[in-house]
Amino acid sequence: MSRIGIIAVRFALLAAVLAAWELLPRLGIVNAMLLPPLSDVVPMLGDILARPKVHEAIGVSAAEFAVAFVIAVPLGTAIGVLSAENEYFGEIFKPMLFYVFSVPKSIFLPMFILVFGIGFQQKVAYAAFSTIFVVIMSASAAVESVKAEHLLVARSYGATRRQVLTRVYIPSMTPVLLEALRISMIFNFTGVMIAEMYASRTGIGQMISSWGENFQMPQLFAGVILLATVAIIFNETIRWFETRCSAWRT
Amino acid sequence: MKRPSPRAVRWMLIAAILVVWEALPRLGLVAELLLPPLSKTLVALVNAWPEYMSALFVTLYEVILAMLIACGAGILVGALVGGITLLRNVFLPVFSSLYAVPIVILYPVFTAWFGIGSESKVAFAGAYGFFPVMLSTAAGIRTIDEQLLLAARSMGATVPQQITRVIIPASIPTVLTGLRLGGALTIIGVVVAEMLTSAAGIGYLVTSYRTILDSPHVFAGVLMILILSVLFDTAARAIERRTLVWQTAGRRERASSKEDKATLAMPAPA
Repeated sequence: MSRIGIIAVRFALLAAVLAAWELLPRLGIVNAMLLPPLSDVVPMLGDILARPKVHEAIGVSAAEFAVAFVIAVPLGTAIGVLSAENEYFGEIFKPMLFYVFSVPKSIFLPMFILVFGIGFQQKVAYAAFSTIFVVIMSASAAVESVKAEHLLVARSYGATRRQVLTRVYIPSMTPVLLEALRISMIFNFTGVMIAEMYASRTGIGQMISSWGENFQMPQLFAGVILLATVAIIFNETIRWFETRCSAWRT
Repeated sequence: MKRPSPRAVRWMLIAAILVVWEALPRLGLVAELLLPPLSKTLVALVNAWPEYMSALFVTLYEVILAMLIACGAGILVGALVGGITLLRNVFLPVFSSLYAVPIVILYPVFTAWFGIGSESKVAFAGAYGFFPVMLSTAAGIRTIDEQLLLAARSMGATVPQQITRVIIPASIPTVLTGLRLGGALTIIGVVVAEMLTSAAGIGYLVTSYRTILDSPHVFAGVLMILILSVLFDTAARAIERRTLVWQTAGRRERASSKEDKATLAMPAPA
C-alpha cells in the first residue's frame, strides 16, 4: 500500500476515534459525566490555556523539567561514557543498573519529600534521579556503537586523538545520543508529572490530579490532551533530527 | 596485585550500602527522620508484619491481574500488528509516537472511571505494561527468518501448522523479553497508582506512613517493593536464559532493523 494510502488510513482512524468521542456521550451510550464529548473538551482547552494560574503552573513545570534535564543528562552521559570506556568499572556497575531499571523509582518519592520538602527542589531532584539511569545506559550504548574497525583505520592513517574524537566518535555516537536524549526527555517529563501529582502545591501535574479528584472531567481531559500533544511534538522533533543524523552512520 | 572480581566488588558494594545505612544515622551524621537505621527499619517491618503482609497481598493481586491483561492484550495485538503488513504500517509508527505520552497523566481518568479500589490500579497498570509486551511481540514476529516459513510452506505445512510450529517457537524469546519489561512496568504501575490515590496496598502504606513522618515504616515498605521487583526480574531473566537456545535458532541475523532493537530496549519510565 502506498505511503499516501497509509496516511489516509491513519487519518480516517483518528477521525473515527474523535467521532466516537463526540457521539458516544452525546447519544447517551456512555455517561457524559465520565467522558465529556469532544466538543466540550476542546473549548475547555482554550479556556484553561487562558487562565493565568495555568500559565503559572506550566511555567513551574517547564522550569523543573529544564533544570532536571540539565542536571541528569550531562552527569548521566559522563558516567555512561566512563563505564563503557573502563571495562572493570563497567563490569561492576552494569548488572546493577539492570536491576535498578526494573525497580519503580516512584517508591523513592517519599524519601525525596523527607529530604527536600515538596517544593521545586524535590521535583527537580526526583526527575533527575528517575532520568539519570536511562541516560547512563544509553550513553554507554552510544560509546559501544563506535565500530572498532573505524577506530583502527583512523589510527592507522595517523589521526590525532582530537581527530579520532571529532571524526569517528562524535559522528558515530550522535544518532544514539540523540535517541538517548529523546528517551531521557520522556523519562524526565514522566518524573516531573509523577512528583507533581504525588505531592505538590503547583505545577500542571498537580492541576491535573486535582481536576481528577474534583471530578472536573472536561478540564481533566483538556489537560491530558495538552500534555500529550506537547510530549508528542517534542518526541517527533528529536526523532526527525535522529533520522537526519543516522545518514552519517552508514 | 590482582583486582578482585567484579562480582565480589558488587557484593562488597551492597554490603557497604547496608553498613552505611546502619552507621550514618547511628553516628548522627544523618537525621533519623531522613534515614532510619537498617535495624530500626527491619524491626518496624517485623512488628507490623501482618499489616505489610495484607498490603502485599492486595498489591500482588493487582499486579497479577494487571499482568494478565497486559500480556494477553499485548500478545494478541502485537501478533496482529506484527503479522499483518497493513496493520503494521498503519499502527507501529503511531504506537511509537504515543510512547512519548506519560501514561501517568491518565491515572486521574482511571480513578474517575473505576473508583479508587483495585479496579483502577489493575486498569492503569495493565495499560502501563501493555505497550512493551505489544511492541516486542510485534518485533518478535516480524524478525522471524523468512526461510523457516518458506521451508515449512514448501513441505506443505498448513497455516495453523506454520503458526504453531514456526511462528510461535521462533518468536518466544523476543516475546519473553517483552513480558519481562511489561511485568516490571505493571509492578511500577500498581505501585505508582497506589501511591497517588488509594486505600490499600504497599504504595498506600508507604504514602500514609510518609504523611505521619514515620520513616522506619516508610523504608520498610520501600524495602519490600525493592525486593519484590528484584525477585520478579531475577525470575524473568532465569526463564529467558533457559529459552536462549532458541534465540539464535530462528532469528534473522543482523536483519532486525534499528527500530526493532529500540522498541525491545525501551525501558520503563517512573
